[in-house]
Amino acid sequence: MNQEHPVSQEELMAYRDGQLQRDQARQIDAHVESCPECEKAVADVKLVSLQMADWQVEDAPEGMTRLVQAALESRARRPESNSAFDWWTKRRAPAYVFSGAIFLLVAVAGISLLFRYRERRAYDTAKSAGLSAEVYSAPFIRTAPPPPGGPPPPPELSSREQLGQGTLGSLQVDKAFSNSPSGPMIIRTVHLALVTNSFEAARTRIESIVQESKGYIDQLSIRSEPKSPRALSAVLRIPDGKLASSLNELRKLGQPKEESQNSADVTGQYVDLVARLSNARNTEQRLLTLLRDRTGNLKDVVAAEGEIARVRESIERMEAERKNFDNKVQYATIQVELSEEYHAQLQETIPNTRTRMFNAAIEGYESASDTILGIALTILAEGPAVLVWLAFLGGIGVLAWRLYVLLRLRQRSRGIDPV
Amino acid sequence: MYSDEQLMLEFKRGSQKAFEELFSRYRNPIYGYFRRRLNHSARAEELAQETFVIIIRGAERYEVTARFRTYIFGIALKQLWSERRRELRESRTAEESTEQGPNPDPTKGLWIRDVLSRLDADHREVLMLREYEQLSYEDIAELLAIPLNTVRSRLFRARSEVRTLLDEQSVKEVSR
Repeated sequence: MNQEHPVSQEELMAYRDGQLQRDQARQIDAHVESCPECEKAVADVKLVSLQMADWQVEDAPEGMTRLVQAALESRARRPESNSAFDWWTKRRAPAYVFSGAIFLLVAVAGISLLFRYRERRAYDTAKSAGLSAEVYSAPFIRTAPPPPGGPPPPPELSSREQLGQGTLGSLQVDKAFSNSPSGPMIIRTVHLALVTNSFEAARTRIESIVQESKGYIDQLSIRSEPKSPRALSAVLRIPDGKLASSLNELRKLGQPKEESQNSADVTGQYVDLVARLSNARNTEQRLLTLLRDRTGNLKDVVAAEGEIARVRESIERMEAERKNFDNKVQYATIQVELSEEYHAQLQETIPNTRTRMFNAAIEGYESASDTILGIALTILAEGPAVLVWLAFLGGIGVLAWRLYVLLRLRQRSRGIDPV
Repeated sequence: MYSDEQLMLEFKRGSQKAFEELFSRYRNPIYGYFRRRLNHSARAEELAQETFVIIIRGAERYEVTARFRTYIFGIALKQLWSERRRELRESRTAEESTEQGPNPDPTKGLWIRDVLSRLDADHREVLMLREYEQLSYEDIAELLAIPLNTVRSRLFRARSEVRTLLDEQSVKEVSR
């Protein structure tokens, strides 16, 4: 293209092929009429086309209809079924998405139910084995039942409650506890493990031994499981003076398996505690005297009362500690582990087949109803969230499907993917 | 006279006559498309039929997003590619068993075929689609998924090469 020939060779070719816009074609037409070179270029294109046209192929054979006819007949045979087929074709993708979501929901519900069922079984097993709900806190139980007979509140709490009722009026000095111990303070602990062949008699005897020695049972638990020996675990508190005789009686209950004794001298700790307690009481008395005899402004009075409350609290804490020492020294601790000598026995009454089948059917029914109930509960609990996800993912799926169909149509129209 | 697209929509609605009209319009162009690119007339016939079968089976999904001419030649192009891949797999190259079909003037046809075979494959395809299938530049661009300018440049080069080669052939003929 130049000033003499304002039309490029390619444009001349397109002009010859009739592939230009009308205005552009008109301009080139005018130029070609006056330009022999461009006219020749157009003629060359035409000549090539004419020469190429020499390669002719035969017409399609007359019999080229076999497959086409078969396809047409096949299409004609299913005109009625097209509606259902089309319906399915159009809704296939959402149906797949929906089915997948339902499957996912059921799978999640089933797995969740299975886990819950296993947790509950484990919890029930642990419960029947004697573990408290505190020891085994199953994660699925949102409202775990409180353990029967919870531990008593700590002594500090009761002391603080008393403190809250008023400090000045409750001041009483227990002079009996302010004395130093006359002899060594020894805390005795005995661990005794026995095997007995008469479990019930041994248990009764333990209670009578404790009663005779004027002690008490601090803790007692019995474990009994099928096809395993029974076991008793008890913590006995026996007056220190009767420890030896009580131990002798306990040893007679069965074959000793293990025995250990431990003594801890707490005389020093006790003396130190008593001294600190005495000092605290003296401080408290001085503060009370000061508060009673001296006059001052309100700020000083409030400060003095706050100090009295603090000292009183420490006094009560030390008193509780001292009482604990006294109790441990006065009452020796005996931990008894009593196990039954186990004799395996044949099952006396073997249920007949009918009973067993009936029992199995009942268990199966209960299991099925539990499963259905679990699925229903899970669907109710998780269903709304799953529906939200389904709507979200389904929307994306439908959009993706439509985009895919559109792309396929475009590709098909280009001949890239005709099938 | 109905357009191709109207006929196809009629066929989609169930009119068999519409398809017969389409078939009569395109049976020779589609057969010729395969016949010029394959060495076996029987295979060309089969592929031409398969192209129409695909049209029949896909009629329910047909939408007028392009010209029908582009649509049907797109299917034919895809069929041809599949055929060539199959030939490659079976190592049945054209040279092994070349069948010459009936030709009104075999000498001229062979001359042109020889010239075309010496062209670059991309250039040859564009030229053949233009000269034999009579597709517009836009149709060719859409069919081959290439820009319109590329179609023009390839077509121009192809014609220039053909012109040069035919001139050479003419000189040889004269010198004999």
